Amino acid sequence: MTILQTRNLKKIYGAGENAVHALAGVNLQVEKGEFVAVVGTSGSGKSTLLHMLGGLDRPTNGTVTVDGKDIFSLKDEELTIFRRRKIGFVFQNYNLVPVLNVYENIVLPIQLDGNSPDAAYVESIIETLGLKSKLQNLPNNLSGGQQQRVAIARALAAKPAIILADEPTGNLDSKTSQDVLGLLKITSQKFVQTIVMITHNEEIAQLADRIVRIEDGLIVAR
Amino acid sequence: MNVANKKYIRQLSMKSMKAARTRNLIAILAIALTALLFTSLFTVLLSINHSVQQANFRQTGGWAHGTFKYLTHEQFDEIKTDPLINQYGLRRFVGTPDGVPFNKSHVEIGYSDAMQAHWMYCNPGEGRLPAEGTNEAATDTRVLELLGIEPVLGNKFTMTFDVDGIEITETFVLSGWWKYDEAIVANHVLIPHSRAQAIFDQVGIGSGIGKDGMTGSWNMDVMLGSSLHIEQDLNEILTNYGYQNESRSLGDNYIQIGVNWGYTGSQLADNIDPITVIAIIGLLLIIVFTGYLIIYNVFQISVSNDIRFYGLLKTIGTTGRQLRRIIRQQALVLSIIGIPLGLLTGYWIGIKLTPVILSRLNGVVEDAVSASPLIFIGSALFALFTVMISCRRPGRMAARVSPIEAVRYSEGTAYNKTIRKAQSGASLPGMAWANLGRNRSKTAITVASLSLAVLLLNMTVTFTNGFDMDKYLANVVSDFIVADSSYFQTGNFWGGDRALSEEVLSSLESQSGVEAGGRVYGKSSPVEEFVTEDYYRALYGKWNDKEALDRAVTFTEKNEEGLLAERVQLYGMERYVLDKLRVLQGDLSKLHEPGGRYVAAVYSDDDYGNAKMDSHWAKLGDTVTLRYVEKYEYYDPKSGKILDPDNIPDDQPYRHRAKNYQDIDYQVAALIIIPHSLSYRYYGTDEFIMNDQRFIQDSGTSNIMYYACDVSDERTGDMEAFLYDLTNKQMPQLDYESKSTYAAEFDSFRNMFLMLGGVLSFIIGLVGVLNFLNAILTGIITRRRELAMLQSIGMTGKQLKAMLTWEGLYYALGAVAVSLLLSIAAGPLLSNVLASMFWFFTYRFTVLPILSVAPIFTVLGIVVPLTVYRVVSKRSVVERLRETE
Repeated sequence: MTILQTRNLKKIYGAGENAVHALAGVNLQVEKGEFVAVVGTSGSGKSTLLHMLGGLDRPTNGTVTVDGKDIFSLKDEELTIFRRRKIGFVFQNYNLVPVLNVYENIVLPIQLDGNSPDAAYVESIIETLGLKSKLQNLPNNLSGGQQQRVAIARALAAKPAIILADEPTGNLDSKTSQDVLGLLKITSQKFVQTIVMITHNEEIAQLADRIVRIEDGLIVAR
Repeated sequence: MNVANKKYIRQLSMKSMKAARTRNLIAILAIALTALLFTSLFTVLLSINHSVQQANFRQTGGWAHGTFKYLTHEQFDEIKTDPLINQYGLRRFVGTPDGVPFNKSHVEIGYSDAMQAHWMYCNPGEGRLPAEGTNEAATDTRVLELLGIEPVLGNKFTMTFDVDGIEITETFVLSGWWKYDEAIVANHVLIPHSRAQAIFDQVGIGSGIGKDGMTGSWNMDVMLGSSLHIEQDLNEILTNYGYQNESRSLGDNYIQIGVNWGYTGSQLADNIDPITVIAIIGLLLIIVFTGYLIIYNVFQISVSNDIRFYGLLKTIGTTGRQLRRIIRQQALVLSIIGIPLGLLTGYWIGIKLTPVILSRLNGVVEDAVSASPLIFIGSALFALFTVMISCRRPGRMAARVSPIEAVRYSEGTAYNKTIRKAQSGASLPGMAWANLGRNRSKTAITVASLSLAVLLLNMTVTFTNGFDMDKYLANVVSDFIVADSSYFQTGNFWGGDRALSEEVLSSLESQSGVEAGGRVYGKSSPVEEFVTEDYYRALYGKWNDKEALDRAVTFTEKNEEGLLAERVQLYGMERYVLDKLRVLQGDLSKLHEPGGRYVAAVYSDDDYGNAKMDSHWAKLGDTVTLRYVEKYEYYDPKSGKILDPDNIPDDQPYRHRAKNYQDIDYQVAALIIIPHSLSYRYYGTDEFIMNDQRFIQDSGTSNIMYYACDVSDERTGDMEAFLYDLTNKQMPQLDYESKSTYAAEFDSFRNMFLMLGGVLSFIIGLVGVLNFLNAILTGIITRRRELAMLQSIGMTGKQLKAMLTWEGLYYALGAVAVSLLLSIAAGPLLSNVLASMFWFFTYRFTVLPILSVAPIFTVLGIVVPLTVYRVVSKRSVVERLRETE
């Protein structure tokens, strides 16, 4: 079952001579439960692609379909709501809310949606990610690896259709990176999650089920 | 080690400053508002001082520093060249008219040169001073009005006046006139020197000085280098030419001098009372504090936002001192822009406020606004001082930064909590609340700054609300009081010569609407009482030493029982007025009886209406003997020789005693307090009240001091109009007071405070709102990325705005809550202080101003964050997410 599909996705920044073709017509398809790594050098357009997939930015041309829904047919406000229900983000620099503790950060997207969290489900995520003893801590009191685990838990908590990870280990040392990625993979399998991860690190990409390469805004190999 | 690096530090300072446009703008506004507050305060203060001085000059008749009086022509020419004299003016007095129509005015005819004329306010608004060799004269509109001459140049007028005892009649041609200023005592008719000399020749004075020692003499008004030591300078000048002003008997080198007391008597510092000093210091502190709150906050926020930059500078070798200098220099540059702005607007506000206050000060000219450079220097210094103390701590913070920590610093880090107990998850209000906790000092200062304005407003309203009209009017017991105008003026003493006439009274009494009224007869013949020596000594002991007291006791006339004679003040009151008295003991019914010989003893009270029971010796039921004296005789206390009253030698002590008199005994039927408005209106000797018939019969006089009456409500306006017309047109020597004039006076007094407090609260409110704006603005700008992240994980724009609005509301409503609590807590304290300062103050608790400000603050709390966010959110989430500090 295809959970994510892009058709002829284009993004052009600027206009005329200064125009930068960040995406030059990307066609990508991701199946449910798949762990896909998008690999490319700096400036290849991989981050732009991720932003498009997550509905953070609108494309110049083309469509993105998530869970059967053309996301750019939605208005901004609707798109945000769709995003918090269907898409979980994991950022390179964790992006936790500094004034909220670990637990509050994890359940924030659910609460923003006006729902109460599925306690058993959240509990098992927390257990899997080894955050049980840190629930009341504030982010500034956690190590980088711990913070990223919180970010992963947050991404999973809302049971999204897809998790988008943007260089999730970029700020971590190699040992911690391995741990975090291992956890990411284990949890995605355990909770049947689809993951699209962006990285420039080939070694890390090897952990994925499939590697997609992007160069100059185009996918070059599957 | 001193390295020549100041230039580079300055460059760095200026460059980093350019990067902070919004902060600069807010800081400049804050500095300007602080300077504005100082300037308005100083403008008002110095203007009051200035106008008091101006008023003094008008009373003294001019603003020359001093005068050498009654000189000869030779002396004049000799002294005028003294180097201590900056400028001089000549005046030669000719004469005064004292017949009708000038019997009630002090008019002087004389010659003044242009300088001297200018110094005594004789500046022709129309025309010019009289030209030499002509029959011209210049005068003021009052003199022309009395003469019945239109103020048209070229009109002729004739005056008869007394020149050294000789009556002269002269005709003049009007060459110029100036507007009459009622504050100036004397009216002048200025004539040319040639004409003055001709008159002197005519009466036989010639170039000499008249028999009165004044007419024809040369008077020199002088301006010295400074007004600080006028008397000393004048004496020095005299000494320079071998003159003295010690005593006429020391020789004929005596020259009388005059020092303009307007300069010495009007120094603000000399006649200011402690309450005013406290109020001024309090205001200065409030302004410094207001300024500190915002300027400190602006710099504190700016430094913590730029902390990475300072950390970087430190990493590459900038010292803490240099970082402090960078911040100080930025503050100075911002002050250079902000302070002049504040000085100008503050001065403008000051000159608008000054007349409001001056109108409350009696006898002070209202157009006198000071433009003293002191205002600007003082305000600028105070504002600079505020800026400097405000940026000290932020400077230290930048200097203390550790390069390693700075790189990791973000607003949340200052937050030393590591644990948050909440388990229920985050709500929008909860997140907003937590966000305020990130930079506690910023939150606290912003809330304090907003609260200060609200608190001040509430205090102003509480203060003016507490002005109790009933208490204020407690002493105003009659609707109208009519008397000779001198009765109402301070410093005038009743002597019986300015009594109301029967015609006036009958026209007053016949006015429709008069419900009740009564006359009060004032004492105009000598009356004495007899008091014990102890009482006498207590009475005069305050002003005399033991020796003088002993002498007085020895020589004062005594009666058979050895009691001492003492002057006494009497009232003869009709029943209406008697009924207005406040009875302490006894009752007044016996005084109502026309035939009885009863009196009421007048006790005094303090501002709060508490009777002073030691203010009179007479107790209820006492017998008082009053001695009505027809004739005194004068005698030498040593020899006992009777002296001729018309020819009493100056140099030997003499005493007087009653020769022909009548002693009458009265019984004290009541001890009373007389409302001030019905009294003689000055402190004198012991006072007794009897009814009108008894007074007329026993004293043999019937001079009416005033007439008081109550008028029905619907006729009050008519009566007011009638009295206005009567006292302004028909009989200008009369004047009146009405309850409504007191009420109007009260209102304007209250409005003055309301306006001053309102303006102050408003400006401090502006400062608070600016601080609030800055807090919200910097709060949103530094969290741009975080907010974008929240959106990326699914916070909708609406939710984000709701969170920011909660933050704004916490600030605004926090300020309301804080000021509410403080007002409630400070209420009892405030009430005691104010009630002891103003006798007509009744504390009434109110938080109405706070509650009415609350909606405004609610709107601000919502609108400010939303507007700021709207500006920030123009950039897309992705752009903001990518942004690196």
